[in-house]
Amino acid sequence: MTRFLKLIVKEVVYTFLLVIGVSFLLFLLFNMMPGEFLGKGEGVRSFMLLLKRLFTLHFGVSIVSGIDINSIIFPAFKNTLILTVGALFISLLFAVPIGIFSAFRGFKTYSWPLSMLSYIVSSIPVFYFGYLVLYLVSRYTGYLPIYYVQASGTGSRVLAYLLPILVLGLGNNSICEIVRLITIELDRVIGTDYVAASRARGESILASAAGEGILIPLVSIVFSKVPFIIGGAVIVEQVFNWPGMGRLAFQSTLDRDMPVLIVIAFLSVLMVRVGMIARNILLFHLNPREA
Amino acid sequence: MKRFYYEEEPVDIEEFYVPIYRRASVRDVVSIGFGLFVVAYLFIFYFISITNTFIQNPMDVHVDQMFQRPSFEHLFGTDFLGRDIFSRIVKGTEAFFVPGLLSIVISTSFGLLFGVVTGFYPKILSSIIFYFLNIIDSIPRLILILIIIVLFRPSIYLVMVFVGITSIPKMTAYIRSKVEILKNQRFIEAGKALGLSPGSIVFKHIVWLSAKSVLIIHATLGMGEAVLIETSLSYLGFGVQEPDPSWGNMVAMGIDFFFQGRLWLSTIPAVVILTTIMGLYLLGDGLNSIYNEKVSR
Repeated sequence: MTRFLKLIVKEVVYTFLLVIGVSFLLFLLFNMMPGEFLGKGEGVRSFMLLLKRLFTLHFGVSIVSGIDINSIIFPAFKNTLILTVGALFISLLFAVPIGIFSAFRGFKTYSWPLSMLSYIVSSIPVFYFGYLVLYLVSRYTGYLPIYYVQASGTGSRVLAYLLPILVLGLGNNSICEIVRLITIELDRVIGTDYVAASRARGESILASAAGEGILIPLVSIVFSKVPFIIGGAVIVEQVFNWPGMGRLAFQSTLDRDMPVLIVIAFLSVLMVRVGMIARNILLFHLNPREA
Repeated sequence: MKRFYYEEEPVDIEEFYVPIYRRASVRDVVSIGFGLFVVAYLFIFYFISITNTFIQNPMDVHVDQMFQRPSFEHLFGTDFLGRDIFSRIVKGTEAFFVPGLLSIVISTSFGLLFGVVTGFYPKILSSIIFYFLNIIDSIPRLILILIIIVLFRPSIYLVMVFVGITSIPKMTAYIRSKVEILKNQRFIEAGKALGLSPGSIVFKHIVWLSAKSVLIIHATLGMGEAVLIETSLSYLGFGVQEPDPSWGNMVAMGIDFFFQGRLWLSTIPAVVILTTIMGLYLLGDGLNSIYNEKVSR
């Protein structure tokens, strides 16, 4: 238990230092711009002011629209969070069975089309994939709402979440990496002695191999894909008109709206680091020797 | 093959030298073949593009030939200004070829430098370097690139420099793990005993003779990422601007006509992007499984 506490304290302190470092990098970059806004100004005092505003979550006003940033960023953050977490789950849901199947089957009749399919689906450029899905769904079925249901709109909100999450989870290069990882790791583990021993005892190979063979690399790769998924979310939100952080980032890039961009960068870094903390805690429980 | 090793007394598998052509499985041969095909057409397209030997000029507007379906005359059809899509795809390689190489050079050279340094000095220096690398790593790449675009201007070379910089942490981690394994091996010890200079040990025996495969694999994957970023940014409108063709802005242009049923306008560039990225990833995978696994599957 003390080791666990030590781990958590270490992670939190490191994350805190990293976030300060990231803010300093942003501070340096933003001081190259002309103009007056949050995070602008020379010297230690203005950097401290920026840090204080970022950490107390009072972000100030946007320089383009004049609206309080807090009122637009938190709903957008919530939407992006739903999109990101949902996409992670969808990726795992499709990738893990394909990976396990193709590891046991080898490069044979039913497995290679599946793993090929996973490569193809995840290499489709995500902006095209989104439009293709929209086209097919709206033209041939009409069951699912194709755009985000605004407050005035009708229809189920949960169903509107479905398509963007599906597109971001299946596309965006995430499935093929997980499939490849699971295939390689299971392939390696199946040859080892302890799996042979557990097979001799009559246990399932998957149960004995899962602990060390799959779960540890799987956990470490899945959480390290979070920044990549946030990047993909920028495009998917653009395609599906999804009012999230990525679309806000796109809009504020067009508007040169610096304060909003700095807040978006800060929140996405927080998201990535929280994912890393979760990863390290999970790895600590899975593999206490190396934590 | 595997079974043979286990029935013998347990020996260190690394002792055996298996030639590359015997390590490769069917899967590796297929993926490397496909990857080499992709690399070949990228080079051919780029060569056609810089020597300007097109059959149809990609910039010529023919308003009388709008929206033609794929035929022998126009292999991939024509777009909304009657420009030949095949020629534009060929010219579109210019948008990412040299910038992608630039990003690979940056990520490989700095990754190599930091990887070797952190592999050999795993105490304080390493943790300082990893602190800075983690800062770069925790900002999502597309968001960092959007910030760069706001601050400077939407130039693809600048963007690719930052793509290279954001790939440094991954590269460093791989090189570092390789160096950490290699530096305690017997041949390095023998090299030290023979009185080789540290530079020779590091750069010839560790980097060139043993970690070369890691470099090649990551260069391949880096090119795939460069294509992905370039097309995404051009799709969003921050990359290559319209009269110049790029695969990303061709898809974006075609999507305006998608719901009119003119699917090929955006489908063909998208399929080309798909083939290229998949080929580069498969090439990396195939090389990885050939170089990193000692016995065949």
